[in-house]
Amino acid sequence: MIKKIKPSLSEKILFIFLILLIILTLSSFYILNNKCLFVKKIDLNNFKFKDKQNIAIMEVECGKVLIELDSNISPKAVNRFKKLVNKGSYNGSAFYRVIENTLIQAGDIEYGNISNINYSRVGTGKSGLGTIKSELSDNFLFNAGSVAFARKEKFDTEDSEFFITLIDIPIYQGEYTPIGRVIAGIDSLKKIKVGNKSTYVLKPDYIKSLKLLVN
Amino acid sequence: MRYIILIFLLFFNFSYVNADAIYNLIKIPNLEVHKVDDVNGIKYLVSKRGFVIGDTNNIKCNGINNSDLDREFNTIQNNLRDYNSNFLRKINLKFVVLCKNLEISGINTGGIPDNKFRTLILDLTFNRNYFERMIHHEIFHMIDNSFPELFKKNKWSKLNNKDFSYASCSTCTDLLGLDLEIKKGFLTEYSMSTAEEDMAEIYSLLKTNFKEIDLLIKKDNILTKKKNFLINGLKEIDEKFIF
Repeated sequence: MIKKIKPSLSEKILFIFLILLIILTLSSFYILNNKCLFVKKIDLNNFKFKDKQNIAIMEVECGKVLIELDSNISPKAVNRFKKLVNKGSYNGSAFYRVIENTLIQAGDIEYGNISNINYSRVGTGKSGLGTIKSELSDNFLFNAGSVAFARKEKFDTEDSEFFITLIDIPIYQGEYTPIGRVIAGIDSLKKIKVGNKSTYVLKPDYIKSLKLLVN
Repeated sequence: MRYIILIFLLFFNFSYVNADAIYNLIKIPNLEVHKVDDVNGIKYLVSKRGFVIGDTNNIKCNGINNSDLDREFNTIQNNLRDYNSNFLRKINLKFVVLCKNLEISGINTGGIPDNKFRTLILDLTFNRNYFERMIHHEIFHMIDNSFPELFKKNKWSKLNNKDFSYASCSTCTDLLGLDLEIKKGFLTEYSMSTAEEDMAEIYSLLKTNFKEIDLLIKKDNILTKKKNFLINGLKEIDEKFIF
């Protein structure tokens, strides 16, 4: 006959400690893997927009990002951006270039879509609409949340790629064509996956959808 | 185990990522904004940690400290204020990078112009005797690179005596003297290296000491033609240009 052995007090404490340790490990693992846990969700009902025609809504992994387009400063650039948004060209566009805590870049329509991303050519793709002239302004301050078209070394080479600044970058003033500003949801952008050792991100995060509030 | 490996990797992963916001713009790493000049819009950037750039990593420059900067910055700024923002835009100059012990392919140099990125790299520790001249000398290279059709080298070369020919490159010769040393058609020994350097030498000497140099030039027929050649080109860029 097997005798039932009662656990001692120290064994009970050890058991409880082990259970707590397992819970702590699992919850830490959950928190570490859920980068969006502390990102505040955007509710469109909480916003009153003055100019609904110039509001773009970007959906990324951690939630919505609202962008107010500024067609006064750069009408051609905003027009190009809207055209590509309406065509759905930015849906699936990868944030292939991310400078940690500084800026994120997406919009390579040809080689940068997450469904068929071409790592060797991403950043060189074209929209098929041709380039547009730079619309530079010394009045547009590149504060955190500024959205602007990327370009090659030369001016007048803007096409479809754009970047969003995560911090103030005053040196960009007058250097890039502004499109608008993030008015809500920048925390979601700060969670975009960063590359290691290079500016190009492997298996990057991407734009789930980008559309205008009013078509 | 995974965390141990992660901690291990993080501990040894200390190499710097050349991916800051300024690098994004002009492809030179480790720079900080020192000043944006509201007179002509030049953006002064300083390298505190040094950098190595170029397709073959052939351009090197060491970082500077605040005392280097305090000593030379006003001189640089005052000389560059000779150029207005419109002129600077035409010659593709927007960023001035300040560092020390600048070298290209192992040869020390005072400045390196890069029209593509609208950048001029300047060595703060360049010989004091020629420092201001060097600034304008490099500015001329930016002018020349932006408007090569106005400063055609074959046309310039024909202004010299027929028995003279330039070297094939500025570093392919030992004619490196920068002191004022007038020989038929030339102001310095370095002027005799290439047509580009000859133009830049005359330009920079006129820019820094116009009265004296102009008097010397007037005594030399070839130098007078060369000065007029430069002025004609410069007036095409900016009709109000004066030395």
